[in-house]
Amino acid sequence: MSIHHHPGEELLLNYASGAANEAVSLLVATHLVACADCRATVARAEAAGGTLLAGIAPVAVSQRAYDSVLARLDEPAAAIVRSAKLTGDVPPPLRPYIGDSFDAVPWRHITGKLAHYPLVTRDGTRARLIRAAPGAGVATHSHRGEEWTLVLTGSFHDETGTYAAGDVQSTTPEVKHRPTADPGPVCINLAVTDAPLVFDGWLPKIVGKLFGF
Amino acid sequence: MTNPAPDSARLNAAVVAVAAKDRAAFQLLFDHFAPRVKGYLMRLGTSNAQAEDLAQDALLAVWRKAALFDPAKASASTWIFTIARNLRIDAIRRERRPELDPEDPALQPGSARAADESVDWGQAEDRLRVALATLPDEQSRIIELSFLSEKPHSMIARELGLPLGTVKSRIRLAMARLRLALGDST
Repeated sequence: MSIHHHPGEELLLNYASGAANEAVSLLVATHLVACADCRATVARAEAAGGTLLAGIAPVAVSQRAYDSVLARLDEPAAAIVRSAKLTGDVPPPLRPYIGDSFDAVPWRHITGKLAHYPLVTRDGTRARLIRAAPGAGVATHSHRGEEWTLVLTGSFHDETGTYAAGDVQSTTPEVKHRPTADPGPVCINLAVTDAPLVFDGWLPKIVGKLFGF
Repeated sequence: MTNPAPDSARLNAAVVAVAAKDRAAFQLLFDHFAPRVKGYLMRLGTSNAQAEDLAQDALLAVWRKAALFDPAKASASTWIFTIARNLRIDAIRRERRPELDPEDPALQPGSARAADESVDWGQAEDRLRVALATLPDEQSRIIELSFLSEKPHSMIARELGLPLGTVKSRIRLAMARLRLALGDST
């Protein structure tokens, strides 16, 4: 898989520092599964976090705290669970939300060829899956905030280019686009928005409101 | 408590020893890191009592998960930072933290170069410290706000009254400096 569109380094930094909310972290972690370069960038940012921790002004911890940790060292701990095998086509960070298969997702249809499934909303930032059959797409819209779209299967294109599995498209408020799924396998995206979309036309406006876009 | 702080090589070795249930090594890690984890959490606005509770949980996690520590991938400080960060997200923000298992077979391998890339984290920490200390103020301020106020770039932009693009480009410049400091010229 060769990835041409990466999340901005500000998102990787937010993920590493813990500043990103759950919706953004889900998108970043899912991209990291496919991208060794961005994993290396996150590791560097986390190393900066380690350096900041090493240099922070320590605040005294009571002897009681130490004694209570010592008393717990011999407690039986839950076994460390590691992912031993590949299961299904769903990247690991998404599995707690939807399980092992995109087919088992309770898709909510917007049209016959377009469906979505909300995953998580935090601080007004929404993460959702969008499933578009070839030729289907989201009506022309602009944005009040930022939007990040990670391709999970298939590919789509819009006025700015073509995006395939692993790619992240980042748009800022001034971008107006009409993403459309390419011929071939169904295009499933993980889309994160930090403000509602702004649709052109009265019908998309109503549909958008209805489905919480 | 008047001993000089142990250096990063000694702390890394202590985590490896803790994986073999070495209690003296654990005491060293507790004495060094528990007050720093507590300090980190209090910087982020956690109360003294809750920060102390979470610092205990963090060090207990160090004891239990030490076998997962890989000194080729991170320093002890970095590894313990990620434990404290995740505990805070779980306990205080009550959010799930989407994380990767570095050994997960689903991870796509990178180019040969990326796979060969190994950083000596013992020295890397000193180089990173220098790099962070010598970043231009406008860049280090943003990195610090991200880690020690948990503000995402959009909120930093609003707070500093800067355009989003300016904050993003300062982050890019700072990240490029970190990459250089860690000896990766790409």
